[in-house]
Amino acid sequence: MNTILKVNELCKTYIVNKRQNNVLRNVSFSVDEGEMIAVMGPSGSGKSTLLYAVSGMEKATAGEVLFGDQSIDKMSEKELSKLRLDEMGFIFQQMYMLKNLSLLDNIILPACMSKKIKQRRKEVTERGLALMHKLGIAEVADNDINEVSGGQLQRACICRSMINNPKVIFADEPTGALNRNSSDEVMEELLKINSEGTTVMLVTHDIKVASRCSRVLYIVDGNISGEYNFDRDFSESKLREREKMLNGWLMEMGW
Amino acid sequence: MLFNILRRDLKRKKSINIILMIFVILASTFIASGANNMVTVFNALDNYFDMAEVPDYWVSTSDSRSVENFKSFADENNYSYKDNTMAMINPKDVKIDGKVFDYSNTTVISRINDTNLFLENGEQLKSVADGEIYVSSLMWFSDSNDFHEGSKVVIKCGDLSKEFVVKSYVKDAVFGSGMISMTRFLVSDNDFEFFKENEKSVLFDSFFLNTDDSEFNIKFTDLELNVLFSIDRETVKLTYIMDILMSAIVFVVSICLILISLAILRFTIDFTMTEEFREIGVMKAIGISNRGIRGLYIIKYTAISIVGSAIGFILSIPFGSLMLQSTSKNIMISNSGNYALNVMCSALSAFIVVMFCYLCTRKIKRFSPIDAIRNGETGERYSKKGVIHLSNSKLPLILSMSLNDVISSFKKYVSMFLIFVIGILLVIIPLNIVNTLKSDSFIQAFGMAKSNVIILQETYFDNSGNNKQMLEEKIENIKDYLNENDIESKVFQEAFFKFYISKDDKKTSSIATQGIGDSSCDMYTYLDGTPPQNKNEIAVSHIVADRIDVKIGDDISVNIGNEVKKYTVTAIYQTMMNMGEGVRFSETEDLDYNYITGCFAIQVLYTDNPNQQTINERNELLAENYPECELMTTAEYVDMMDGGISGQIDGVKILILSIVIFINILVTVLMTKSFITKEKCEIAILKAIGFRNNAIAAWQALRICLILAASTVVGVLIGSPISQFVFSQISSIMGAYNCPIEINTLETFLIYPIGVLLITGVSAFLSSLSVRKISASDTSTNE
Repeated sequence: MNTILKVNELCKTYIVNKRQNNVLRNVSFSVDEGEMIAVMGPSGSGKSTLLYAVSGMEKATAGEVLFGDQSIDKMSEKELSKLRLDEMGFIFQQMYMLKNLSLLDNIILPACMSKKIKQRRKEVTERGLALMHKLGIAEVADNDINEVSGGQLQRACICRSMINNPKVIFADEPTGALNRNSSDEVMEELLKINSEGTTVMLVTHDIKVASRCSRVLYIVDGNISGEYNFDRDFSESKLREREKMLNGWLMEMGW
Repeated sequence: MLFNILRRDLKRKKSINIILMIFVILASTFIASGANNMVTVFNALDNYFDMAEVPDYWVSTSDSRSVENFKSFADENNYSYKDNTMAMINPKDVKIDGKVFDYSNTTVISRINDTNLFLENGEQLKSVADGEIYVSSLMWFSDSNDFHEGSKVVIKCGDLSKEFVVKSYVKDAVFGSGMISMTRFLVSDNDFEFFKENEKSVLFDSFFLNTDDSEFNIKFTDLELNVLFSIDRETVKLTYIMDILMSAIVFVVSICLILISLAILRFTIDFTMTEEFREIGVMKAIGISNRGIRGLYIIKYTAISIVGSAIGFILSIPFGSLMLQSTSKNIMISNSGNYALNVMCSALSAFIVVMFCYLCTRKIKRFSPIDAIRNGETGERYSKKGVIHLSNSKLPLILSMSLNDVISSFKKYVSMFLIFVIGILLVIIPLNIVNTLKSDSFIQAFGMAKSNVIILQETYFDNSGNNKQMLEEKIENIKDYLNENDIESKVFQEAFFKFYISKDDKKTSSIATQGIGDSSCDMYTYLDGTPPQNKNEIAVSHIVADRIDVKIGDDISVNIGNEVKKYTVTAIYQTMMNMGEGVRFSETEDLDYNYITGCFAIQVLYTDNPNQQTINERNELLAENYPECELMTTAEYVDMMDGGISGQIDGVKILILSIVIFINILVTVLMTKSFITKEKCEIAILKAIGFRNNAIAAWQALRICLILAASTVVGVLIGSPISQFVFSQISSIMGAYNCPIEINTLETFLIYPIGVLLITGVSAFLSSLSVRKISASDTSTNE
């Protein structure tokens, strides 16, 4: 399988009140196309920073991030924007959307901006609606963002992240603000997307969520201290077992 | 604790707090200096008139019989008066350091025995030494002449001439206003004898009379003297209206600035509170009272307003003096002891700011801690937010987003909209007024006919009975010259008289005019009725009509010399000449030109509709052939008549334009920074999904540009009727209430609005570029 993301010796340092804070220390790993990878670790360990640095949202202090064969740390701001717009999708814990736009408009916004898929506004809208239909939120397409539930909003965020057919979706605790039912629904959608070939990299605290990924990276103090690989059997009977195994491994890692 | 919260707030929102303080400073500066200037100028005029001992009535006559009659009339009634004989001179007969004196109004030589005159340092001019000459401030400060101490002034009178050395300029209350259209040189008693004894001199007597007799006007009118002019103290004061008008403009600008400051304040307080709802919620949740929370904001804004107003007070002193500089050239202005008003105005602006803050913070009371934590939103909404849907819109994406934001959250932009509208109005109103004052058609407001060129020529009248013939010859001469050059034209002039007009028991004196040459009454405009065409017909100004209570169709009596003639009023007109008084005879009426008191300039109207280039060529031809005359365009002549006010307003217009642009830029920077702070999260998410910095900056700037465009359209649309209203108020004081404003479409609707729009738009985009500082990862650091 081809490597979509390769991270070499990645470092990120913040200077706060003249004190150096090394959030990421020489992190290296790679992600294959079609993989669904979870990043776990205690609070403040650098999970989100890793996600933002890998996706080019945050400039790394040192090291290299290859997206396919392109080095994103050598890209200009303009090139990074284009890469994020066309090849990456993002889902955040808080369901950030533009307040003055309807749910559908928020979803199609990246497609309207992108030149990747040359489509007219009408076709883009149809694609947005199709995605919403797929994720079961088509009936709230014209609603304002405060007129829908958290779960619906997060699914709308997933739709937005998928609208430009990205190669990778980055998700920062996508279920963190949701209740269990909504959380399960969102995970179902992400698994579906992944099964259709889109690579997913997510940060989570939730063992149940992580157990549905193909690989788990465990990060402590800015270093990857361990990696856990699953097989791709996501059947209901296996799920409990996967959770148990992951839990045991995390205990070993000091979780 | 409170201090710590305040300190952190001031530090965290440094730029917004600084801009807010700048507005408080500006508002305080302008309101304090504006109010002070108004009071100073109004009081200064009264004080100046008292100091100068401006008489209750000023009467001038060149008729020896009238001089005698006036003296015996004053003696009989025990009126105290001063009599000063003056000599009228042709400005062309005056040379300053070898250069011909360039001045278009009547020039007079006089001694200093009437009103009190003041030097630049405020001291009274007590005497003039032989060989020295003092110049009225109007002449001293005119651009066309270079008067300075030590200048050699040679005045020719007939075949003789006399040389003087310029000593200084004087503030001359009765001859000091541009609208009096008469100025004077002051010489010693001995030197004046040179003019008095010279048989070529045109002498006249000015009486300066003081009385508290309420019936003076009636008695004086009954006297039926042949006067050059008679004017009372209040009317002289009225001629200083332009000096007051300039201060009034500063005052109106000040009021607009304080409105702008309040709008800014409202926006800032609202913004601060929505920004800090969570903090407000936490404070409420932990038990801090509403009063305590409100106090926090009020203390902050009180501190800003006190510091801002104090700085504004300090700045208002030099700024006020700067604004008064042009006015103090003409009149005595004493600023000492007036700073209490500045302090009061500054304190008032601080108080308004604090009160406004108090009112704006009322909504804190309405929210529960949970509402506040939810950013003031309860989740209930009864109307859709998004109005323009990207999915349906055919507009470009950024424009759609901006337009949708503006329409769906217009309330957020109301302050900005109002500020921009006020700004556009502040630019457009003086612009329209200046264009009207400078327009060729404005001459009609002076009761004169339209023409292509105006020829100024000094003319002196006597009792030889040849006055009309002399005027007609001059006109004929110009007409012949134009005919020789195959130029079709009308050449005409208006002669004016001072007659007594009465109807029943109501009587008044008024300037009366009659056209000579190719003039006909239908060349003039009338408010009502038809032009007088027959000998016994007359048009009267609405001021005269009001005074003697006449309307069209009524008969009035006019005393012409010893004769009383009856005329039928056929039309009512308006004029800004002589504060609105006037009657116009038909050109067919035979008037006795021995009673002529003066004439307006010769006017030439080319009747073959030539283009501007041809007009210019013909005017050059006339100028070459009549080097002794001064040629003017209609606009230049009008400017001379209104005392050069258009030039002064033009100067203020540039100042106001600069202030408006400065305010717009400040408001734009303030609002943009506020929006960016508030929408940090949305900006971060747009970055995260791949929007480039320029696209996000364009989105931010475009919203401001849309508001700016909307306010420009509204400002331009309401600007014209407001200009008309303002101008009518000014012109009606001078006697013409129906003066349509002249709108220069290109300037009013395009150049100035687009200029303001472009500069503000660019500043909006440049300040929007601060979105660069927001990183896509800031989504994780904001809620």
